[in-house]
Amino acid sequence: MPALLVLFALSLYPLIFAARVSLTNSAGTFTLANFARLFQDRVFAVAAAQTLIFTAVALTIEFALGLGLALLIESLARGRVLFRAGLLVPMLLPPVVAAVAWRLIYNPQFGLLNGTLRQFGVNTSQLTWTSGESSALISVILVDIWEWTPFLFLLLSAGLQAIPLEPLEAARIDGAGPWQVFRDVILPLLKPTILLALLLRAMDLVRIFDQIFILTQGGPGTATETASLYIYRTAFRFSNFGYAAAMSFVLLAATMLFSRGLARLVRVR
Amino acid sequence: MFRLASLLIVTVLVGCNRAPDKALTIAVNAGVEGTALKAAAKEWGEAHGTRVEVVELPYANLFEKEQLDLTSRTGAYDVIMLDDPWFPRLVEGGNLAPLPHNPDEGFVPSCLAVCRNPFGSGTYFALPYVGNSQLFFYRQDLFAKYNLAPPKTWHEVLSAAKIIGTQEKMFGYVMRAAPGNAVVADFMPLLWAFGGDVLDTSGKPVCDSPAAIEALRFMVELGKYSPPGYAGFNADEVSAHLLQSTAAMSINWPAWIAAMDDPSKSKVVGKIGFLPMLGERSPGVGELGTWLVAVPAGSKHQSDAFAFLYWATDAPQMQQAALRGNPPTRRSLFESPELTARFRAFPAQLASLESARPRPRTPLWNEIENTFGIYLSKANAGTMDPAEAMHNAAREISQILQRGQ
Repeated sequence: MPALLVLFALSLYPLIFAARVSLTNSAGTFTLANFARLFQDRVFAVAAAQTLIFTAVALTIEFALGLGLALLIESLARGRVLFRAGLLVPMLLPPVVAAVAWRLIYNPQFGLLNGTLRQFGVNTSQLTWTSGESSALISVILVDIWEWTPFLFLLLSAGLQAIPLEPLEAARIDGAGPWQVFRDVILPLLKPTILLALLLRAMDLVRIFDQIFILTQGGPGTATETASLYIYRTAFRFSNFGYAAAMSFVLLAATMLFSRGLARLVRVR
Repeated sequence: MFRLASLLIVTVLVGCNRAPDKALTIAVNAGVEGTALKAAAKEWGEAHGTRVEVVELPYANLFEKEQLDLTSRTGAYDVIMLDDPWFPRLVEGGNLAPLPHNPDEGFVPSCLAVCRNPFGSGTYFALPYVGNSQLFFYRQDLFAKYNLAPPKTWHEVLSAAKIIGTQEKMFGYVMRAAPGNAVVADFMPLLWAFGGDVLDTSGKPVCDSPAAIEALRFMVELGKYSPPGYAGFNADEVSAHLLQSTAAMSINWPAWIAAMDDPSKSKVVGKIGFLPMLGERSPGVGELGTWLVAVPAGSKHQSDAFAFLYWATDAPQMQQAALRGNPPTRRSLFESPELTARFRAFPAQLASLESARPRPRTPLWNEIENTFGIYLSKANAGTMDPAEAMHNAAREISQILQRGQ
């Protein structure tokens, strides 16, 4: 019973309340206007598409790098602890601190990045990073990769360490090469960990807010506008809680579908 | 027995030392504008035996906290500090308490007008605390070097930006064009100078008028003399360029004046001149950004809260606030020999404040500003033609206004 009460207070009540807000107008009467508006709102369409691109690109690269680093460091005979500790530093920084640091790094005139490139003779006059319409989203994705690849590395490393040695040795005795061992033994045994890591990271990526809020505030124009940022603005800057709640439900549904898709992709039941 | 006696003594001592019954909770902006009010609140508490709690919130969160408190009438705050564009939204639905009596005549009229609902003529619901309005910052040493008179029009700024930018190998101008408040704040003086506006007197969007489109084309032209990437700049990037002597001119707010003359931050100490906003077809008008103080209708200590409001905005207290770095809202303080000797920009600040215009007085301004800012930012980033940007902005602002009805 206490567990049920906690579940109701923490999960169900906010959800029911948000549903009520999304389905009523300012006079308190039932309406579907908030959901109907979603189909006409171009900013929401742009924000949703960019959230999808952001999630897909960042997740793919972070996973590839995380797995690569995990395999590399697990194969080292010495210094594993040192590398692991070093790699975890970006993830330990509060996201706001990391974003502020990157905002300074990306500054086109005074930033560390362009300053370093200029030392090597690179013409940086057009390298505007977060200020450029075409480069802003990539720049924000790079910050996310820098900060959150260690998270995937950490989970995948733990998964690799949990794989029993016997099947690996058996495969090698049977003459399997390193690629065959990876593809036919390590990868199938690592699938549950991969799914967990991808799901956790994907859910976090869909909600991306703090980095973008500090780095670009969604700009230039709507170049880095994401669903969470737009929902925040709608609720707390425009005071339209009903429409913000409707968008949140769509985002929740999209996240659930995305997670289901990921699970199918990794084929774990 | 001994334990019981000890307990009684402790209880009596705690009772004697407990905080005063009277209490005020004040929400302030976590920044230079809030620092002076925080100090004033402490002084008030000590003088009146009132327990004062100051809640400092960053600019981005202050509005949402105040909005939530006002609409739900929680009475969490007894006094709130608010930026003047928020006033039309926060005063809606009787959420702010009307002032018990009208303010005196000593305030600059533009600052008082934004405290009334309806704007300029209605009941007073707030008092002006920080007299902010935009100024034009320029390198007076470089203007003298190239025999240029201080600019009076935006085309003179463009000419000077070309000359200084080429000769000095620096950026002739620097502006901010990040979406939202940043780009809108830098565009409004241009828009007004070219004879345009966002909404007409009936509240209809007119930002796609020929004058408005021309103003945006001019902004994009001026952007060619700004640092690359200015389409993502906010106030700190603009000020960094001025402070590091890498740009010669900009629109800026009074809060940055002190930094310009601070040797620990600035390479341009004494070299920056300050002017009221420049004109073009119409006289120059800066954007008003006055910080107000008001009492929520849900406050349970309204009598004390109003007493504090009148005290904090009275001339002696406002002089203290000015010495702590806040531009005053009283004319007498801008003209005080003691203060003008200390703050060299005061004459320009007063001239700017007297002619300054507030942002359109609609509760939907935050949403309008966001949409308008997106298209201004796109035009400055070079991804949308100014005419297309303004037509799109006008269409979407019209939709926002329709939804709000």
